[in-house]
Amino acid sequence: MATITQDKPTRSPIRIGRILLYLFLISTSLVMFYPLLFALVGGLSSQADYFRSTWFPTPSALYFDNWINFFAGRDLWQWVINTMIRVAWYIIVPATVAILCGYVFTRLKFRGRDLVFMFLLSSMMVPGIVYLLPTFIGFARFPGVGGNDIFGQGGSGFINTWPALLLPGLVNAFYIFLMRQVYQTIPRDYEEAARVDGANTIQILVRIYFPLLRSALIVLVIFQFVAVWNDYLNPLVFAGGNKEIAPIALGAQRFIKGTAIQLGRPDYPRMFAVATIVTLPIMALFIVLQRYFVQGVQGFGLKG
Amino acid sequence: MERTVALQSAPSSSRERFNLFYSRHRHTMEAWIILTPILIYYVIFYVAPVIANLFVSFIDWNGLQEAKWVGLANFEAFIRTPLYIQVLVNTLFFAITILLVSALLGFLVAMALNEKVKGLGIYRTMWYVPTLTSAAVTAQVANVFIAPGTGVISGIMKSLGQPELIWQINTDFARVFIIVFAIWRGVGSSMLLFLAGLQGISTEVIDAAKVDGASGWRLIRHIILPLLRPMTVFVLVTGLINGFQIFEPILLITNGQPGNTTNVMMTQIYKDAFQNQDFGMAATQATIMLLILLWASFLNLRLMGQSSTDEA
Repeated sequence: MATITQDKPTRSPIRIGRILLYLFLISTSLVMFYPLLFALVGGLSSQADYFRSTWFPTPSALYFDNWINFFAGRDLWQWVINTMIRVAWYIIVPATVAILCGYVFTRLKFRGRDLVFMFLLSSMMVPGIVYLLPTFIGFARFPGVGGNDIFGQGGSGFINTWPALLLPGLVNAFYIFLMRQVYQTIPRDYEEAARVDGANTIQILVRIYFPLLRSALIVLVIFQFVAVWNDYLNPLVFAGGNKEIAPIALGAQRFIKGTAIQLGRPDYPRMFAVATIVTLPIMALFIVLQRYFVQGVQGFGLKG
Repeated sequence: MERTVALQSAPSSSRERFNLFYSRHRHTMEAWIILTPILIYYVIFYVAPVIANLFVSFIDWNGLQEAKWVGLANFEAFIRTPLYIQVLVNTLFFAITILLVSALLGFLVAMALNEKVKGLGIYRTMWYVPTLTSAAVTAQVANVFIAPGTGVISGIMKSLGQPELIWQINTDFARVFIIVFAIWRGVGSSMLLFLAGLQGISTEVIDAAKVDGASGWRLIRHIILPLLRPMTVFVLVTGLINGFQIFEPILLITNGQPGNTTNVMMTQIYKDAFQNQDFGMAATQATIMLLILLWASFLNLRLMGQSSTDEA
């Protein structure tokens, strides 16, 4: 690019404009990426190398001990298993609900249809914090479990147990809305033809609609994966006291916070290594499925 | 009527009778078979908590002793206590600052990326990936940047021969860092949304405007911005709603310090509920937040409705 500037410095204002454009894009993109690169390289530096550098870690040799130790340890895999259980659950149930509701709200005629739809949609306007305390109290005082008597007193109910991490948030109004939009673009002929051939509703949902909803479902899978992988507040409040079931965002945050001082200095390289490792799967997901991410974010935008 | 029809066709077995009934009322039956469990769950986990939260706003309760009905006393305490007002003002300050900078920056980058640049995917990735990182993990690690003495910024200031910035006593630094962090994690979304909006504008419209002599700022002001209006409203309102709920960066970086100058509603609710055991005040703040964000949502619907009638 430098050669281009020397070639025609003044004759073509368009070219200068493009060079400025690229300079702007490259420099700002590097600023955006700087913290992530810093964490990547910082996590691959030894303590001594790390503290020798100022603006950016410049290790004399790549130091993999933090990565190896973390992969060899039990913590990471425990968090990954716990998180993947939630990821699978929070994909399968909301997806099923959205597929069924999309069918109900576009293919079936019944009294009160629009009313029920608006009723479900209204939850999109409520900020998550409103649910937090009542749900916590409901879990803590749930009768007959976790040492509670039939009046919900005495124990801790569902708090710090799996049900508290799996029960809330299963009906996602946004996905119902999204799925309904997609159903509206599918012609009814397929279903009618299948019904003439004697197919029942379950067969129609599984064999006809499920494949046609594929791209919307991929968007759902991606966004639920990211949301659950990064979910921090729910696990913190509902299960913060049980290390065994901690998902990755909570586990990693606490691990980083608890990283001890090494050789008289905080062990920053280890913190960076852990942060990088738990972020990589999401980055890989984005790079592979970038098209669907963009499609999904656009779907968030303006279809209403 | 159903009965007479059933008699006429005279189904012999109960199974046949069911089939007949089902085919006649398939829509209603299927709808309610599917909706009933979903609605029961929805009422328990989405409707009841909102009502319960509203109810707890009117009581004084620490979760252990007997709750006491206090009417509007919690709301009065909210207005009368300087801490809560300060927290509300802080929340507004963070939400609006982060929103405006992210929207402007996101728009600029989207405009640049819309110029048919080479390597669009790479720039888009670099801008969007921070949005996908865990707020908790990145916030926890962000402490490494501002740690006094050993942190990255501390080292940079030293190498520049500047006095050290210590966020624990420097409110401006603490606030700016939170804002920069939040913009870093959030600007990708507004960039992607604006880019989607820009790509939705047909090139013919732009070319026609260029033929008519519109360029630069005038093109943006009179052609692009009006066409982007629905997307802009969406970016601003969702940005406000998200900004209001800023939580992890505050909790894990400054924890509201120094002296509550970076404390926001979400962290104060969290502290009141789970550390101070003041369920009443926690619920009251959640109710106030609900009211503010409901207002924002209705504003969104109204502005969106307006822009769609404008187009029609």
